[in-house]
Amino acid sequence: MDMAKLKHRDKTYEVEAGKQLERAIRELGIIPETVLPVRDGKIVPLTHRLEEEEEIELVDVISGG
Amino acid sequence: MKCTVCGKEAVIKLRHANLKLCPEHLVARVEKVVADTIKKHRMFTPDERILVAVSGGKDSLALWAILIKLGYRADGVYLDLGIANYSEPSREFSEAFAAERGLDLEVVKVTEELGTGIDGLLRMVRGKACSLCGTIKRYLLNRAAYKGGYSALATGHNLDDEAATLLGNILRWEEGYLTRQYPVLLEEGKLVRRVKPLIYLSEREVAAYCIISGIRYIYQECPHSWGARSITLKHILNELEDRYPGTKLQFLKGFFKVRQRFQPPEPVELRDCPVCGMPTAAEGLCRFCRLRERVHTISIANGHHGSTS
Repeated sequence: MDMAKLKHRDKTYEVEAGKQLERAIRELGIIPETVLPVRDGKIVPLTHRLEEEEEIELVDVISGG
Repeated sequence: MKCTVCGKEAVIKLRHANLKLCPEHLVARVEKVVADTIKKHRMFTPDERILVAVSGGKDSLALWAILIKLGYRADGVYLDLGIANYSEPSREFSEAFAAERGLDLEVVKVTEELGTGIDGLLRMVRGKACSLCGTIKRYLLNRAAYKGGYSALATGHNLDDEAATLLGNILRWEEGYLTRQYPVLLEEGKLVRRVKPLIYLSEREVAAYCIISGIRYIYQECPHSWGARSITLKHILNELEDRYPGTKLQFLKGFFKVRQRFQPPEPVELRDCPVCGMPTAAEGLCRFCRLRERVHTISIANGHHGSTS
């Protein structure tokens, strides 16, 4: 099966290529509102369909303390 | 997904605003919201000098960049809190931002003020990290703004910060805090006016602004904020936002409409601290000077002299 990678904090998840990014994020238990998907320094829209071997970083947008 | 404004490829959907935006129009929206917020709440005018409290994080650096872009006279102040593996990279991001743009950044070191940083303080005195840090930040930032002759101190508090604070204050019915939660707190004696120009922007919008604008900021969180109540409240609000877009904005704006129904228990009279001369509501020393005295006493008792960070 063709896979893509989603990196969140110190973890990397392998997810099925062809899947919509928003769905893949939700399946990881992450609320899309709390992250920004970034690839090569650019924001990737949640409607994007994951491609084989691509790597997307999910940047946390929640800061606190 | 097409940009609602220009029809080009959109990169972000803002469900609470019913907008899909391309990078160019996300930047334009963020800057317009800030400009409108400043005017709506009469935060400051272009001829006033503003001091931005800079942490190296996305919100404060975005705020500083936007104020400069909008033509305001804004300098920065960075508080080096003395937190291991966090303060140093935060300062580096702040200094790099200022240097690249030719902006003035003052660095205030907590270790030079108290003889120890937050890490050392937490080993010496009882208290929660965020509460101690809050006391120190409020004092040193106000002092920097007052002594520097600035008209206002601007902080990067965003919609998520303010909605979480509001929820926390309501859950505990902290009426005194509720009366003081507003985008602008007017100056009072030596207390400099405090303003929050990002208050109507979500964290996601601000982070997107930084990424699109090439503003490099520290992703890492303060190690002491792990498990902080404010982060839990933010997650709860984001779950609600996910189901009911617009919840956070409606919650905050709705509160501002009814806020005057809450009254502080009694008017607070400010006096000058006999040691530092800065304003305090307490009898005798201000909270910061009391903290400095405690640190000094404990240091002597422990046989330490000088920095204990």
